[in-house]
Amino acid sequence: MNRRDFIKMGALGGVIVLTRPSLIDQKLFAHDGRLYESFEKVQLVDEEGTPIKASALEVDVDYIFQYPHAGTPCILLNLSEKSEVNVELKDALGDIYLWSEGVGKSGSIVAYSAICSHALTHPNKSESFFAYVPKGKASAAIEKGGAIVCSSHLSSFDPRNGGKVLGGPADQPLASIVLEHNAQDDTLWAVGVLGSAKFNDYFNAFKTEMDRDWGGKRQAKKLVKISAPTVKLTKFTKEVIQY
Amino acid sequence: MSMTRRDAFKVAGATAAVAAAATFTGCAKAEGAAPAVAPSQSHVTLMPKSKGKRVVIIGAGFGGLAAAKYIRKQDASIEVVVLDRRDIFMSCPFSNSLLGGLEDVTLDTLTRDLYAGAAKYGYRLEQCTVTGIDRASKTVMTSCGSVDYDILVLSPGIDYDYKGQFPEWSDEKIRHVQQQAPAALMAGSEHLALKRMMDNMDGGNVIITVPAGKYRCPPAPFERASMIAAYMKKEGIEGKVIILNATKNIAKGKAFKEVWADKYSGLIEHRDDCTITDIDLTNNKIHYKQIVGVDKEEKEIVETKVESFAVLNFIPKNKANAVVAMSGVKTNAWGGVIMNGASFQSKDDKHVYAIGDVVGHGVPPSGQTANWTAKEAVKEIVAQLNAHEPYKLNLPYSAANVCYSMVTDGPEEAIMVTHDFSFNGTVIAAKATVPHPKDGDGKYRSKGLAKATREWYRGILDDMFM
Repeated sequence: MNRRDFIKMGALGGVIVLTRPSLIDQKLFAHDGRLYESFEKVQLVDEEGTPIKASALEVDVDYIFQYPHAGTPCILLNLSEKSEVNVELKDALGDIYLWSEGVGKSGSIVAYSAICSHALTHPNKSESFFAYVPKGKASAAIEKGGAIVCSSHLSSFDPRNGGKVLGGPADQPLASIVLEHNAQDDTLWAVGVLGSAKFNDYFNAFKTEMDRDWGGKRQAKKLVKISAPTVKLTKFTKEVIQY
Repeated sequence: MSMTRRDAFKVAGATAAVAAAATFTGCAKAEGAAPAVAPSQSHVTLMPKSKGKRVVIIGAGFGGLAAAKYIRKQDASIEVVVLDRRDIFMSCPFSNSLLGGLEDVTLDTLTRDLYAGAAKYGYRLEQCTVTGIDRASKTVMTSCGSVDYDILVLSPGIDYDYKGQFPEWSDEKIRHVQQQAPAALMAGSEHLALKRMMDNMDGGNVIITVPAGKYRCPPAPFERASMIAAYMKKEGIEGKVIILNATKNIAKGKAFKEVWADKYSGLIEHRDDCTITDIDLTNNKIHYKQIVGVDKEEKEIVETKVESFAVLNFIPKNKANAVVAMSGVKTNAWGGVIMNGASFQSKDDKHVYAIGDVVGHGVPPSGQTANWTAKEAVKEIVAQLNAHEPYKLNLPYSAANVCYSMVTDGPEEAIMVTHDFSFNGTVIAAKATVPHPKDGDGKYRSKGLAKATREWYRGILDDMFM
């Protein structure tokens, strides 16, 4: 099955992909795996390894976990309102894909790759130019807030709409991390990456940082298994810089 | 048969010569080779005829390299050729940090090999000098032969307009001034020369001139003044930085003036309305006229003045690079290409696009804007070559341009400006905002902005080369 075929199929049978992504194994787009790639199903846990309860996530606070690689940061947000549903997104090459919705009781929990889709700016252990600006708070990138802002080149992204670009030089949405919420025990799981992720460019661009933060590029590339420790951004990094 | 090394050399030499004569590839020394391939020898081709989807980009800077990469990314069936007379990439953005002696900033920080992007994205890079453009046959003539195009992208950047500013100066004097009082708005030896002069100076004044009209990177002279002042402070050099500005305009003015007052009091002096009349490099003196006020009849009072310098950074008037005129497309007075509305296509010729400094829009001539114009032009070009619906620019566009300026060292601090772009019916125009950063304690500058400056620079270079 080639990628185009899948997109067509996705439009018709998209529900399968979007609601039960963990049922899909391997890459959906066999020849490059760009738009949706499933990875090991990993549980979000706190620093002690205790499973995170979705309802315990603070509202509008940035959380960071590493997924699908040991050194690829993702941002987790419990937004103050429900996300939009079945958002049509377009990547830089014009391919269209669907982002389903936030998870959790109120459909407000979303996760994205925290590597900016423009020029790879991301949170590291020393600083972060990448963070959520809650609604009503001003930013140089976007007047009314409600956006994930990359304060390096001032791209802004809408977390309620699949990471769609709101402004700035980014030419495609943030890659989103597909989450599953287990309603029985209120746990959260990461299962795959939707959209165009730039992991390879990222590994090549930050060799020094990989050494400092993750003990080397090869360590940072290792795939996360079983669980992903999830901490507040302010705990993950020394300094959050935001404009 | 045994062959000596000498024989082998002969054979190799002969083979190479034949190959070069036949195709004129491997034209390494562009300037030196120029006379051998006059534009009239149009039968000498740089490469085979286009198969119908070839884009030739003139200029391997912030605009041209972004365009080359993104065309190839969006449509690998399009052949891309980039022409530049330089053999190395050097950045103007962030280069004042080298003058300021900021931590870990070296020539390595500013340079890249031009081959990286070409190899990764499969475009062809040719080091040559453009000698002519024939739009009728859609051909670019270069010092290495001619190349035909389906779409031509003009991204050549600026030229200095010494002649326009000083018609009476000889070519020899212009060359002398360019080397002894380098402008350093075009990356290369000029920047290094200025750095050498700063390293060698023991005391005295550094003079920076700011021209009238559009020039590349409007905050550059003021950032440079700040960085040089920081350097002089660090090194204990006695003297000051004097800015002789042709107008009263200072890009990011409020923010620069604030840091000059706070950190460089008595060290940076900005003088308005100064028209340079002559430069005396024998006695290290610059002559100028300054409007100092108006008399009772509201007539300007002009004073003739002279100032000594230890180092002179003479920034002459700018104009669009001469390559634009070679194309013969309609331009504005500065030389910028008149555009087809909210587009980067020439109004005259739908096969010619312009990006970067030479666009005829009212957008700032900055690195990030060059990058943006490139990416938008690419979408138009890809649509055109594939006979798709024309691409419409996404306007208005807020925070379209962001530009940082380093202003202090120990600790490093920077200021910023953002621009919103919109189409005003004739051109794309920009509106500037100089924000107070959240971590600035009410000041325009902050340490976080300095970190953002470094991250901005890293990101925009990676966007071209990775």
